[in-house]
Amino acid sequence: MAELAVVSEPSPFGVTSRKLGIWMFIVADAATFAAMLFAYGYVRVANPDWTRPFALWPTIANGILMTVVLLTSSLTVIAAVLAAQAGRKTSALRWLGATMLLGALFAALHLREWIAMIGDGWRPFRNPLGGTPLVGATFFSVTGLHLLHVIVGVIVIGVIALGYRRERFDPGHLEAIGLYWHFVDLVWMFVFPLVYLMNLR
Amino acid sequence: MKRYVIVWLGLLAIVAMEVAVTLARPPAKLLLAGLLFFALIEAGLGLLYFMHLKYERRSFMWSVILAVVIAVVLMDHFWLDAFRLLHQRLSAP
Repeated sequence: MAELAVVSEPSPFGVTSRKLGIWMFIVADAATFAAMLFAYGYVRVANPDWTRPFALWPTIANGILMTVVLLTSSLTVIAAVLAAQAGRKTSALRWLGATMLLGALFAALHLREWIAMIGDGWRPFRNPLGGTPLVGATFFSVTGLHLLHVIVGVIVIGVIALGYRRERFDPGHLEAIGLYWHFVDLVWMFVFPLVYLMNLR
Repeated sequence: MKRYVIVWLGLLAIVAMEVAVTLARPPAKLLLAGLLFFALIEAGLGLLYFMHLKYERRSFMWSVILAVVIAVVLMDHFWLDAFRLLHQRLSAP
């Protein structure tokens, strides 16, 4: 019986298919967020009665805190990946836990802000300050899509951590979810200045 | 790990600068330009160091960056609606 010869080409980019896959997702998702931010920018420029709803306290201060929390979670996920690559499993799991806690804290701060705004009469199609209702529409859609990414990220990190603890997943899986988490952080680096700081009262 | 902590501190410093620039109350166009400048530096640091693009092959790094840049440029400069809004010449509040 003739033996089957398995021919595999070397990766043109020198990365694993898993890593290439998550990068392709990130490129596509970056285009999605760019489209939303451009739409927001055009709507803002095209509306002379645009209202700037945010005060330094509490909204911008809350946004700064959220930014610090998310940036710190990027650092903890790096610590998790480095620990996993060095074979320090317990340490990697602890850092993943810290990342999940910070992600959950970010989501909680965000939802608290949303609840306060909804309490003030803001809706996706209603502006309690009397200007264009598109302020609420763009705010809730852009920050909502980002918040969805954070919540999904926290859940997936939990799933990866469980699988890694049971040795179903390896450090490569942690690196892949780390890339996703950094991307979520990177998107916030545009959302915070464009959606929050540009709308300081 | 030390390198990442330095990048993290740098990113925090940039966020502080963004807030300081906003509180100086420059005109909207100038503020937008400044904030985008800072955001792009942050994105560059994040991509190169946190996401390790600096340590990947150059072909991979440029494929990823160019894919996003081309998509963004197409959206911002080549969509007909962008031209229509540009010619409205409305000033942002």
